[in-house]
Amino acid sequence: MLLPALGFIALMIGFPLFDTLWLSLQHFSFGSSPRFAALGNYAQLLQDTKFWQGLRVTLALYLLSLALQLLAGLYLALLLHRTRVLRGLLRTLLVSPFVMPPVVVGMMWLVILDPSLGIANWLLGLVGIAPALWLASPDWVVPTVAMIDTWQWAPFVALILLAGLQTLPPDVFEAAAIDGARGWALLRRVTLPLLAPSIITAATLRSVDLLRFFDIIYITTQGGPGDASQTLNIYAFKQGFVFLDIGYASALMVTLTAIVIGAVLVLMRLRQAATW
Amino acid sequence: MVARRIAARAAPLLLDAAQVAIVAIVFVAPLLWMVTAGFKDPDTVTALPPQVLFHPTLQNFRTVLTTMPFLRFALNSVVIAGGSTALGVLLGVPAAFAVSWNRMHWPALLMLAARMAPGALFLLPWFVMFSAIGAVGSFWVLIVTHAAITLPLALWTMLPFFDALPRELTEAARIDGCSDIEVLLRVVLPLVGPGLAVSVILCFVFAWNYFLFSLVLSDIHSRTLIVAAFNFVGEGVTDWGALMAAATLIALPPVVVTFLGQRWLVAGLTAGAVKG
Repeated sequence: MLLPALGFIALMIGFPLFDTLWLSLQHFSFGSSPRFAALGNYAQLLQDTKFWQGLRVTLALYLLSLALQLLAGLYLALLLHRTRVLRGLLRTLLVSPFVMPPVVVGMMWLVILDPSLGIANWLLGLVGIAPALWLASPDWVVPTVAMIDTWQWAPFVALILLAGLQTLPPDVFEAAAIDGARGWALLRRVTLPLLAPSIITAATLRSVDLLRFFDIIYITTQGGPGDASQTLNIYAFKQGFVFLDIGYASALMVTLTAIVIGAVLVLMRLRQAATW
Repeated sequence: MVARRIAARAAPLLLDAAQVAIVAIVFVAPLLWMVTAGFKDPDTVTALPPQVLFHPTLQNFRTVLTTMPFLRFALNSVVIAGGSTALGVLLGVPAAFAVSWNRMHWPALLMLAARMAPGALFLLPWFVMFSAIGAVGSFWVLIVTHAAITLPLALWTMLPFFDALPRELTEAARIDGCSDIEVLLRVVLPLVGPGLAVSVILCFVFAWNYFLFSLVLSDIHSRTLIVAAFNFVGEGVTDWGALMAAATLIALPPVVVTFLGQRWLVAGLTAGAVKG
């Protein structure tokens, strides 16, 4: 019963995987015939300022978004865990952002964050803050995209952490209460260490998506202004499907995949260490 | 005294209620803004301060349905998301059963790796391959490529449900002379109905929302709603009402479908990481 699925995976994923590895060793513009290049594409990549810029954007966006989502998700999970006020309704509402198509999320925020007519700048104006350029500003585009992605995915992190909170052993908390642990000390010394495996699970799932960030950027800025929001994935996509340099794009994709797998392996190791 | 005691009890409750309200506003307000903008005429949609009480119009929806073959694109999306869901579930569910029954690890890890790699890694060789045989734009290409997303998802969401079944159950059925397929169809599947529902829902949502593959591999005849919406934005459409009406319609199917299966959703989404 496993065979049909494995056959399909071998054909659709296994073969393309090795094909990409092979293509990354060729000079190959789509339409011309490939020429073996050994590690030529990878050497080119090390010299390519746009590659390093893409790596910088990818890592900045990754770290900023991950931090924001874990913090906001933890806050939401603790709130949902402790309160009885409208908990069911809030849980239901929090599911909507992350099941929406990223394309729709991008369209929505494009309109909200429009520098001249968007409601975001009007709201800022109400409290006396000067209007921002948001996605149109080279300095602010990465934080803005991180904010959009946090709006979409912090609720997802929250639901994972909430599930984790609900399985924690109550006797530990009773003992801590008897010892007088409360508030910040309780959170830092008891809740967070116990919740660490769930936090790392959430971080792993988000890392995979964040390191290969594509959809929302491609819809809102296509990597701009300039190349201020051009992640590695966007850059590789342009090299492959706009400039049709299949060989170089393959080398970029292989590099990005190695980064994703590296991050996941580190996080899985961390998770083992944090399991109690 | 009594009043103070009531106040001491009520204060944390009120504090939580205030936080719940703020959280609900932060996560729901952008959606509300999008949906209402779809019902506003061109003057109202850019009016600041925003008009809370406005005269709703269906003009934008009429524009969306008449200026582009919206229903055609919607049908394409249904065929591609539905087809790849069917294929993914048909292949993934028996595979998950075999993996769970034989307590194998490597096929599941292989599928997890398939879920971790950036989509463009497969897309490059697919693009080269399907261009070579002139199949870019055809529905079967879009269905099998999206099934590369849905199959691992179906496998991972079904695993915990199969793992939870008592082994005696299937062993008994085997002793009674059932073949593997019969065991799965007659004994096991009726018991994992909720799992199957989550699996189908998640596959459909992921395939419906997936942007990258259709962006490259669809043509004017097989274009999905997501790609059509992206083109709508790319053309620099300044008709915000129509833009938001389209966004609302596109987001509706995944949101509605997940509300139906909400109870099991998070368990399904996190299955991969928790077990991996």
